[in-house]
Amino acid sequence: MIFHSLKSTTPIIKSVELNTDAKAEKVLKGIPSSPGLSMGKAVIINPEIELLTNDKISSFDIPKEIDRLDFAINELTEEFTYLLNKVQLESKNISAVIEANIMILNDSFLIDSIKKRIKKGYSSESSVIQEFDSQKQFLLFSKDSILKERVVELDQIKERLIHVLRNKHISFIIGKNSIVIAQSLLPTDVVQFRESKIAGIITEVGGISAHSSILARSFDITEVIGVKDATSCIEDGSIVIIDGNTGIITINPTSATIENFKLLKSKELENRSRLTELISKPSTTIDGYKIHLMANVNFPEDLDKQILEGAEGIGLLRTENLVIESGHFPNEEEQFNWYERIVKLAFPKPVTFRAFDMGSDKYAEGMPKHESNPALGFRGIRFLLHRKDIFKSQILAVLRTSAKKNARFMIPMVSTVNEVLQTLELLEECKVILREDSVPFDENMPVGIMIETPASALQSSILAKYCNFFSIGTNDLTQYTLAADRTNELVSETFDSFHPAVIKLIKMTIDSAKANNITVAICGELGGHAASTALLIGLGIDELSVTPPTLLELKKRVRTLSYSDSKILTENVLKCNTYNEVRQLLENA
Amino acid sequence: MLEKEITVVNRAGIHTRPAASIVKLAARFKSEIFLVRDGFAINAKSIIGVMTLAAEQGAKLFLRVEGEDEEKAANEISELFASGFGEP
Repeated sequence: MIFHSLKSTTPIIKSVELNTDAKAEKVLKGIPSSPGLSMGKAVIINPEIELLTNDKISSFDIPKEIDRLDFAINELTEEFTYLLNKVQLESKNISAVIEANIMILNDSFLIDSIKKRIKKGYSSESSVIQEFDSQKQFLLFSKDSILKERVVELDQIKERLIHVLRNKHISFIIGKNSIVIAQSLLPTDVVQFRESKIAGIITEVGGISAHSSILARSFDITEVIGVKDATSCIEDGSIVIIDGNTGIITINPTSATIENFKLLKSKELENRSRLTELISKPSTTIDGYKIHLMANVNFPEDLDKQILEGAEGIGLLRTENLVIESGHFPNEEEQFNWYERIVKLAFPKPVTFRAFDMGSDKYAEGMPKHESNPALGFRGIRFLLHRKDIFKSQILAVLRTSAKKNARFMIPMVSTVNEVLQTLELLEECKVILREDSVPFDENMPVGIMIETPASALQSSILAKYCNFFSIGTNDLTQYTLAADRTNELVSETFDSFHPAVIKLIKMTIDSAKANNITVAICGELGGHAASTALLIGLGIDELSVTPPTLLELKKRVRTLSYSDSKILTENVLKCNTYNEVRQLLENA
Repeated sequence: MLEKEITVVNRAGIHTRPAASIVKLAARFKSEIFLVRDGFAINAKSIIGVMTLAAEQGAKLFLRVEGEDEEKAANEISELFASGFGEP
């Protein structure tokens, strides 16, 4: 087994005080991927392998090298099999991947080729590297990006094999409370880490929807991903504080930082227990104005009981995660199973399915691969109406899950009325199919429109006539209104959701909804922003949907505000000329 | 010996999981089974070979089977391809 949990480390706090003064504190920033706040000792795994591709051996050593290879393959297979058994019941997808990894490792053709290289006089390590790299070439030639990604998989297996060959794992003492730092991780690693009760994970690459990240979230292991050069700029054994809510990593923290961490941590624990008291309390302002609080959800794994208890439902289910997770557009049946699971967990609370919001930045096969400007490109409803086969399979799957009357459907990236009319037409076609087959569904399933382009906000009074609710996506609405790419650091100062232009469009949308008696929600990050709550209440929002960890905090805020005061504050905000003025007004309120 | 043209129909192409299903099926037969693409033949019982074919949706391959159970093998493997490996 690679990751022996040989011993649990001594209480970390003690060792901290010994070596903090020796090294300077350093801060890194990554992408938060699994929430939490943890401190622990850095364990660097998977460091760059020196590529000893031409390590020669004498002919005398050939049998010994072949034995070493066989031994390493057996050991790794045993480890993978052990983990496969552990994870089999939890995720079919992940166990299929592990199973394939075992098959690759035991491919007799591959093993024979490696042995041929050993017989030519190369060491086991060099032979493994040579053979995997030559196999990789075939994949690199592929024009298909999904197939190209398999290279990463081969690399990971190769590296793992090299580690076993070098007995490297002896130095991987994954003790309790370790912070594991790696280039990337296999799902098997994360399962193993759970066993060792580690405190956190930092990776250099990986996406929020990567298998290993999904597992980290469901195992409640704090994780920050996308930290460039983490394995080289964090020293093995150093103390690391990792914040899975903000993505901030502190290496060699000073005693002051550690004190601060302890304070935050105890506050977090205290807060958690205090906030849990709010679970059963209504989210109403002191003067009785009701705000419906909902949760944004990425994966069924995110749905724990507590989230559902604190929220009134799911205000945004990002269904494209299903596509990204499986690497292809799932068929109606696969979707139905996934959706049904969520709807059952949430019942009787509503679940808002947002149709696949794919763009060339969230790629799956069958989509254009390169657009010079994906944010302004073939995404959301534009793509769906072009691929009616995919869209219909989704509508059918959602309709079928609506039988219990707690499903809602939402269309992303709308910019013209026509897109809504075409969607409604498709929806009608799907209903006819289901009626013919006597499949039960909700005839009145609410259909909503995402307001995330300036065009849809400006047209909201017309759009409101064709749907049952609006949901304002503030991140995209800000990006498109201010013409500032939200992923471009150079314009991050321009990207500000408190810009008066954005607020005007939000107000316009809310007013149109009110005039047409439909509900209006916010599902973007603005909804969870502490300073925005009073403003949104004052503007007359009905529903706020936020990421689960911030939900109870938001409820606490709502319960301290007054609707009448918020309305007066909002009047003043609407008179502001700049976002600085808006922020100042809101923060001092 | 039997030869048959087969097409990759599932959208994601032969990625890891479909490759695993092909190999699992091929391993059940005594016959020698090859997949040929652009004149390049790989053994269908080798997952690394099948993966590195990098066969995307629409790719046309030749299935070449030789052995006592060649007919059954050829039929079942081409059926697996036609079913899109259970994927859309």
